Amino acid sequence: MAPDAGHRPIKRVLIANRGEIAVRIIRACRELGIESVAAYSDADAAAVHTLAADHRVRIGPAPPTESYLRVEAIVAAATETGAQAIHPGYGFLSERAELAEACQAAGIVFVGPTPQTLSALGDKLAARAAAARAGVPIVPGTMQPAAIGSAEEREEVVRQAERIGWPVLVKAAAGGGGRGMRRVDAAADLAGALSSAAREAAAAFGNGQVYLERFVERGRHVEVQLLGDEHGSIVALGDRDCSIQRRHQKLVEEAPAPGLTPDRRTELHALAVTVAATVGLRNAATAEFLLTPDGEFWFLEVNARLQVEHGVTELLTDIDLVHEQLRIAAGEPLSDRVLAAAAAAARPTRHAFEVRLSAEDPATDFAPAPGRIGRWRAPAGPGVRVDSGVGEGSEVSPDYDPLLAKLMVLAADRPAALARLGRALGEFEIGGVQTTLPFHRWLLHQPAFASGEDLSTDLVARLWDPASLVSRAALRAAELAAKADAERPPPSAVAGTRPPAGDDAASAWWAAGISVATERQP
Amino acid sequence: MSGRARLRVTVAGPAPLLVQLDHDHLSALDPARAGELVSVLPAGATDATLGRRAYEVVIDGWRFDVTVEPAARAELRERAARAADEHHAEARITLRAQIPGRVVRLWVQPGEAVVQGQRLLAIEAMKMENEIRAPRPGVVEDLRVELGQRVERGDELLGVS
Repeated sequence: MAPDAGHRPIKRVLIANRGEIAVRIIRACRELGIESVAAYSDADAAAVHTLAADHRVRIGPAPPTESYLRVEAIVAAATETGAQAIHPGYGFLSERAELAEACQAAGIVFVGPTPQTLSALGDKLAARAAAARAGVPIVPGTMQPAAIGSAEEREEVVRQAERIGWPVLVKAAAGGGGRGMRRVDAAADLAGALSSAAREAAAAFGNGQVYLERFVERGRHVEVQLLGDEHGSIVALGDRDCSIQRRHQKLVEEAPAPGLTPDRRTELHALAVTVAATVGLRNAATAEFLLTPDGEFWFLEVNARLQVEHGVTELLTDIDLVHEQLRIAAGEPLSDRVLAAAAAAARPTRHAFEVRLSAEDPATDFAPAPGRIGRWRAPAGPGVRVDSGVGEGSEVSPDYDPLLAKLMVLAADRPAALARLGRALGEFEIGGVQTTLPFHRWLLHQPAFASGEDLSTDLVARLWDPASLVSRAALRAAELAAKADAERPPPSAVAGTRPPAGDDAASAWWAAGISVATERQP
Repeated sequence: MSGRARLRVTVAGPAPLLVQLDHDHLSALDPARAGELVSVLPAGATDATLGRRAYEVVIDGWRFDVTVEPAARAELRERAARAADEHHAEARITLRAQIPGRVVRLWVQPGEAVVQGQRLLAIEAMKMENEIRAPRPGVVEDLRVELGQRVERGDELLGVS
């Protein structure tokens, strides 16, 4: 059903984002018979999302602050291209009340909550206050932005941290995706962490406010997918566990969160709906909680937008969250399908995983690894979904988030889903840039993860030690390159030709399925 | 198999490696182990006159830039280079940008003495700060960048002598 049944028909949507999420939204639009408009920066003129959309419009130079983060450029692009709605994706402007307000002023539908809700939820301090007022337990911490301008102020922040108890977590009020977050173990490091977190937050979000929360050792990150319509209905569509993180950046997500009874799921979902109702949530959002080792759910924040890991919930519920976002934006009430999925959400019957493949080097502390993608062969087959924003020849720019693709799997239960994930990871071939693929292959075999019984947000920091993995692989790489070289035709032959199939010396090599292309992929 | 001589193989990256492999070793090598994900692709222009050929090898997701050349040639080349370089043994180290990005922190000034591991500057890429530290004790010279400047991969940042 196209979202025309509401009172705001949407025929054309501008996507104020890039990469895999822009492609994801374009796909949903196409399925609903809605035209898509890609907004692109100069760096993305030939990007997958730009070419995939029905229409495209340039919004500025490569740096996000001159393109994807410019509210006026985005709204002007929508107006120029005749789009009735703007979908912000995640990150960039997705949680900025300014964009929602500018849309209102320009008569454009913002696919997301109202500006008031965004102000209340996007500011994590305001969200903490709202949750506390509604009686939802929050992580112990401060309720005001930390001031560090003067020596007295810095001393006061240290006193606050001591009241909370070390270690503390410095968090950005406008944060998301782990940016602007620092764990601090001692008073001496606090001022430095606050100022560097504030600077990172200011650069990433245009807001440098930071505050303190208690850092909970061995906690789990669980979250609840929410949908709300403008008629006052809010439902929880199930939960996810996103404990596999590094520096507060999620690497792997799964749904449902393992080890919760239906009663505990019901309790968690109700807390999320309570927070959302307090701020009049509409459209899609995710309420994040810390699950303490003692089994308490402490509210962290609400991300009032589509979440990166929304796909695992889609797999589990058969609900297309982007379709629903567009229907809600058109003014429709929550559909019967959504209500039925919400009613069944406490008793999930299948299991889904997502791993994030990023252009980062897991051997060097996940340092960014921009470059040009050579080979790109994504897995397929039963129960596998790949959402990506790149292909062979794509440039991975240092200007943007390094996420290349999300590999998701669905199976009857957690062990079957793990086996399927292992199978799919074994099919993924990526060349040209280093990715997080080897980390994911390693993770599958870690008992703490595979059992699902020892998940915690510090699992990666405790267990990931790639030195021996990478040096073993390097030796193997040396051997296989030498073997390939020795079996290559001598320079006198035509350069770059593939050995004939019947060639005795080379046939074993080729027959073994080792692919040696004649040229590097474009 | 063509090429009876030993091969010199250089692997660049986080686990730099230099090995010499002989014909027998390579013949005995299993090209595909169970569960292993491998791709070997010739990379870039090969320098036929030097006999050096470049490959991109990905093993279980670990990606390496690998160069292969006859060991005899490599030794000849190194002898020549050593002769030319003899009196620059303790030459300064030039630090280059390993990733493109922007210089967001600069902790040192030209002429400043630094200890090994001391933070020199930070480059922001993909919104994360990446610190560059002194690889050994020395004096900062030839500071080529300033705060806020954009750098490309391979750009000279500074020297430590």
